[in-house]
Amino acid sequence: MMEYLALGGGQSLTEKLQILTDAAKYDVACTSSGVERKGNGRDMGNSIAAGICHSFSSDGRCISLLKILLTNECIYDCRYCQNRCSNDLPRATFTPEEVCTLTMEFYRRNYIEGLFLSSGILRDPTFTMELLYRTLWLLRNRYRFRGYVHVKAIPGAEPELIRRTGFLADRMSVNLELPTAAGLKALAPNKHRKSILTPMRQIQSGILANRNELALYRSAPHFVSGGQSTQVIVGATPESDWQILNVAESLYQKFDLKRVFYSAFVNVTGDKALPALPGGPPLLREHRLYQADWLLRFYGFRASELLDEERPYFNVLLDPKEDWAVRHLECFPVEVNRAPLEQLLRVPGIGVKSARRIVAARRSAALGFHDLKKIGVVLKRAVYFITCSGRLMYPVKLEEDAIVRGLTDGKDRVQFGSDGMTYRQLSLFDDGSFSRPVSALERQAGALGEL
Amino acid sequence: MLIYLCEDSLEGVFSGIYKAFEEKRDKNDTALALQEEPLLFAEYQSVEPDADRTRRVMNTLLRRFGEEDALSLCLALSSEDPGKAQAVYGTVADGLRRNCRPGHLFDNLAESTVHKAFSLARAAGRELHHLQGFVRFEELEQKVLYGVIGPKHNLVTFLMPHFADRLPMEHFLLYDAVRDICGVHPAGAAWYLQKGSGERFALPGAGGTLRLSEEEKQYQTLFRHFCQAIAIRERYCPELQKKMLPLRYREYMTEWKKQS
Repeated sequence: MMEYLALGGGQSLTEKLQILTDAAKYDVACTSSGVERKGNGRDMGNSIAAGICHSFSSDGRCISLLKILLTNECIYDCRYCQNRCSNDLPRATFTPEEVCTLTMEFYRRNYIEGLFLSSGILRDPTFTMELLYRTLWLLRNRYRFRGYVHVKAIPGAEPELIRRTGFLADRMSVNLELPTAAGLKALAPNKHRKSILTPMRQIQSGILANRNELALYRSAPHFVSGGQSTQVIVGATPESDWQILNVAESLYQKFDLKRVFYSAFVNVTGDKALPALPGGPPLLREHRLYQADWLLRFYGFRASELLDEERPYFNVLLDPKEDWAVRHLECFPVEVNRAPLEQLLRVPGIGVKSARRIVAARRSAALGFHDLKKIGVVLKRAVYFITCSGRLMYPVKLEEDAIVRGLTDGKDRVQFGSDGMTYRQLSLFDDGSFSRPVSALERQAGALGEL
Repeated sequence: MLIYLCEDSLEGVFSGIYKAFEEKRDKNDTALALQEEPLLFAEYQSVEPDADRTRRVMNTLLRRFGEEDALSLCLALSSEDPGKAQAVYGTVADGLRRNCRPGHLFDNLAESTVHKAFSLARAAGRELHHLQGFVRFEELEQKVLYGVIGPKHNLVTFLMPHFADRLPMEHFLLYDAVRDICGVHPAGAAWYLQKGSGERFALPGAGGTLRLSEEEKQYQTLFRHFCQAIAIRERYCPELQKKMLPLRYREYMTEWKKQS
């Protein structure tokens, strides 16, 4: 193994870093959250549950981890991937020591929160997994690194290797890549759905077993304590939003995944089997999927409530929650001072934090619209769906068309006075255009996962 | 109306709070201020900062309100807002009167004093979280790490424990260039603060006495390359980048500095 790595010499560390960062950039998972680990007073590193972003690249995505491939050489020929073996591009391979040194030196200078290590398939899956394991082992045991580590589990690798790697990593992920088996078959001839789901299941049961073990023995080693995640490419194959969301939901339910990441497809290989996407990557679709994903995980929605077979795509103008609300006006308006938390969470403009704050604050006093503003409710959106002590903020027509018009108008249709309380009679000239262009900011905010 | 005049520091304000409770003042007839302002019917009384009283107030806050809310109160005091002392005093008095359970100090957000303290703490907390990521250390000769910040809030005190936990065996300095305060962490020992150390901690580039180590430039270049290579050209969006990483932080960050 070491002989093979020695052959990779000749390139400088800078060149290698450039090639292998470039090769890893399409993987979206760059979160460092979910693990709280204090320093031990001797070794370098700790981990903060909230996660920390250390910088932001020019596409607005967060840089939290040193995201690199161990090698971009690959025996597979997946049509969507720039590292496919039939693609002619410079190849490079890090030695495990190089990865460790880079991680330690970057970490000391507070450039990064930890390491994200993935790899192309070198020789065969087991061999590659062994390299990843070896690198992590060095990093944890020789370099004594206690920061965050996210590593890929290679489908098809020896289960024992995956298990051992899991004890060194904080998060593991296996990329589903394409939401359906048919899509996978068409674009990734060397990958099979079954071989992807097998390590996923293995990690899931590993985490569960470890949880029981930790309950018994507090000092037992942690296995993938930050949970596992996966990534789905959006827009490379003709699956609808409804299909993708259903896949995500079942992954959360059946595989206990921590996160499903969505990656708007970027055509880097120019393969004939792939869509050309002249309008750029489908960022709005990706954004809507992230919004819906949040609704599934934190707001108690089910995928079937948001989309169904007849309406398989998200609304372009309204976010999934607004869309659900205007289709279910019978559930509104909600009385802020009395409604249970679950009902508050379904109001557009009220997030998890503000819903909790409302529940806490209304114990001491009845809340008015003024107070809601302080609490952080987005009144512009919520106003159509809530009452305070039985009163609407101002007379609004509780009718689908009127509400949609209000929600989608960029320039606030209702002008708020300085106290935020007045409303103005609509005049003929107020009628702005119906369609609100979705700004680039909104489109991309979802890509970050806000973590 | 009696107004206690406190020094602009955590100790100052906490000593003021102690005094107000020691004299069993009615909170509606009492206020804390940092500066004297001409007010009709107001009587001013200066309060000296006192370490022992500060500790006793801190212990009460921890016991009655819990660690998280006590930290929030301290964060609120790191702000530059002139009304911070009164906001914190009002919130504490309100919490003690209501006999609130730990973790519920900021429940009553409809109350304007509580909301004020809450929003001060939130703003400071956000900047603290940003800085935990955006601080950049440069390696000086003899392997000392050196970081400079210029935050809106006085946050060195809150940042030091974070980095001391993270880099226990490193010598590092964290210098607040706006307030001229420097946090010093010797390897394997407890950290401390130094005030008024401006000349000694001059920027390495600005003709100061500090020299960068030989490897430093290499790692800075590597990181710059990394930041460029990780961006996806098809998703280029500087507005989003600006929203997430405000310009005021960039002045102190390696990847944004002009390469010499």
